[in-house]
Amino acid sequence: MGRIQFLLRCMFRHKLRTTLTMLSLVTAFLLFVMLRSVAVVFETGWVNFEEVRLTTQSKYSMIELLPLSHQDTILSIDGVVDITHASWFGGIFEEGETGDATFAVDPESYFDVYSEYVVDPDQLDEFKTTRTAALAPQSLIDKYGWEIGQKIPVISPIFPNPAGGPFVFDLVGSYSSTNEGNDFLAFLFHYEYLTDTFAFGRVGWYMLTIDDPERADEIAREIDSRFENSSDETRSMTESESFRQFASQIGDISLMVTGILSAVFFTMILLTANTMVQGYRERIPELAVMKTLGFSNSSVSAYILAEAMLMCSLSAAVGIGIGTLVVLGVQEYMPPMIPIYFDPVTCIWAGAIAVGLGVFVGSAPAINANRLVIVDALQAH
Amino acid sequence: MSLVSLQSVSKTYTKGRERVDVLSDLSLDIEKNDFVALMGPSGSGKTTVLNLIGGLDHPTSGDVVVDGASLKSLSPGKLARWRSQNIGFVFQFYNLLPALTAQRNIELPLLLTKLRGKERKQNALTALDIVGLGDRSKHKPSQLSGGQQQRVAIARAIVADPSILVCDEPTGDLDRANAEEILDLLQTLNQKHEKTIVMVTHDPKAADHAKTTVYLDKGQLTVQEPVSSAS
Ligand SMILES: Nc1ncnc2c1ncn2[C@@H]1O[C@H](COP(=O)(O)OP(=O)(O)O)[C@@H](O)[C@H]1O
Ligand SMILES: [Mg+2]
Repeated sequence: MGRIQFLLRCMFRHKLRTTLTMLSLVTAFLLFVMLRSVAVVFETGWVNFEEVRLTTQSKYSMIELLPLSHQDTILSIDGVVDITHASWFGGIFEEGETGDATFAVDPESYFDVYSEYVVDPDQLDEFKTTRTAALAPQSLIDKYGWEIGQKIPVISPIFPNPAGGPFVFDLVGSYSSTNEGNDFLAFLFHYEYLTDTFAFGRVGWYMLTIDDPERADEIAREIDSRFENSSDETRSMTESESFRQFASQIGDISLMVTGILSAVFFTMILLTANTMVQGYRERIPELAVMKTLGFSNSSVSAYILAEAMLMCSLSAAVGIGIGTLVVLGVQEYMPPMIPIYFDPVTCIWAGAIAVGLGVFVGSAPAINANRLVIVDALQAH
Repeated sequence: MSLVSLQSVSKTYTKGRERVDVLSDLSLDIEKNDFVALMGPSGSGKTTVLNLIGGLDHPTSGDVVVDGASLKSLSPGKLARWRSQNIGFVFQFYNLLPALTAQRNIELPLLLTKLRGKERKQNALTALDIVGLGDRSKHKPSQLSGGQQQRVAIARAIVADPSILVCDEPTGDLDRANAEEILDLLQTLNQKHEKTIVMVTHDPKAADHAKTTVYLDKGQLTVQEPVSSAS
């Protein structure tokens, strides 16, 4: 039996209690890593949209549509360089799936506005010239195992095909973004293909580039003023602003995360401290015996502290490990709608918290163990 | 020169404003390889004497000299180290660590030595053999009888090969047969392994195993020696 083994034996002398405490700690650290990975997206501006782009949508609701005629009016405003539009189609590719982002877009201008999107020039040409053409992000192609050139049937609950059956597109190529992971890449097809069937003359939203990011707010106000008091009022903002608004709709996420984590760790401190204090009390005679055998005051308290640290750091290691795997998994297999991003700093924080927690819950019993007087402890026994 | 020497020691416990004079100006010499039975009414200070000899507590005045070392001159850390090398402790209620097997309980004091893992294990098993429990090394205290637990405790007390064993009512919690076995074991350790033993006991039969019997009453000692070692 070495010192470490002795430490482990002491730590697990109540297997159930120690295991339960450690499981709770593992859960706390798992939560920490996962929630921090969500919060980091909203805090650090990790979603760094290009500030030179504005969106224009209906003033009252994201799902209300705007007239196609707005396009020329917006383009005529000073400072607006390029404009494109997109409409939410809500396509479902396979029965039972909840649907993937599917946009009806203007093929001529879409990739001019989204300059960070990368697409093979030949495939882009084919996309522009074929009315039934579609482009898909690689992740979607992988998800459904498609091949370039194949026909893709799509059903939409918003736009049910009056002829019955699905709409069928020709997958002519794939596209990606240099801003990898930060974009909601959608399945793209011709807006005109949609208006062949539904001649409604409206679009979901506009996206435009401007010549001077400094003037973003000014231009946004100018656009909105043009449509003021019309039947289709607008709301324009920068892309990151629109994302922040979206985020604020579901609450101040980082504040919420901080709140939840504080509650979790407060509970953890109480629970772990209780385990340690209880463990100390019932072991007072044992600690006195250790001192009798010749263990010094400081070595006995070092064992107590080490036990607390070991309990916290082992649990943290497991929690951080599982949390990291989960976050990386979500990032890898569920892009890009879930805003989650693995930041190694999160793990460093979790490690620091584990050490802090260990010191905090271990120090009081350790100090008491240090002061324990052999004859008093043995006499009371 | 005697191995253990209590030199006019007094011990007063103070609890709040209450003072309890337990020992007053008490002197006692214990020779090397003696087997002393310390008897007396309960509360007379027997445990206190053992604590002083074992370096667990300091006298209020006077000094304890063991093997030439004056205990009051040692710092707490040095005293702890000295205990681990010179004294083996045996308690009435065994005081084994419940989470550890017999072998690991015995190894515990060896964590304070420079011995390597294999040697620690080997020494622990040897000590277990000496107390006649070689086949119980993997048992936890809860899986052993009282007599067996006390044997393990004795093995723990001798594993670091101290010259002195202090035993506080080692048979106080055992039935007659088990008590006899423990006393025989202590006698063997005294005779064959040359341990100097100081044993507190209430039991006159237990005192029969000792070479010297010392009575403690009202802070004063009466020594009766030597007595026949076997009965
Ligand atoms: N740590 C202590 N603090 C205060 N009083 C003590 C302490 N240890 C012993 N005493 C008191 O000293 C007296 C002698 O105790 P002790 O040496 O344990 O006697 P014995 O072992 O002969 O029964 C008792 O009155 C006891 O209450
Ligand atoms: Mg006593």
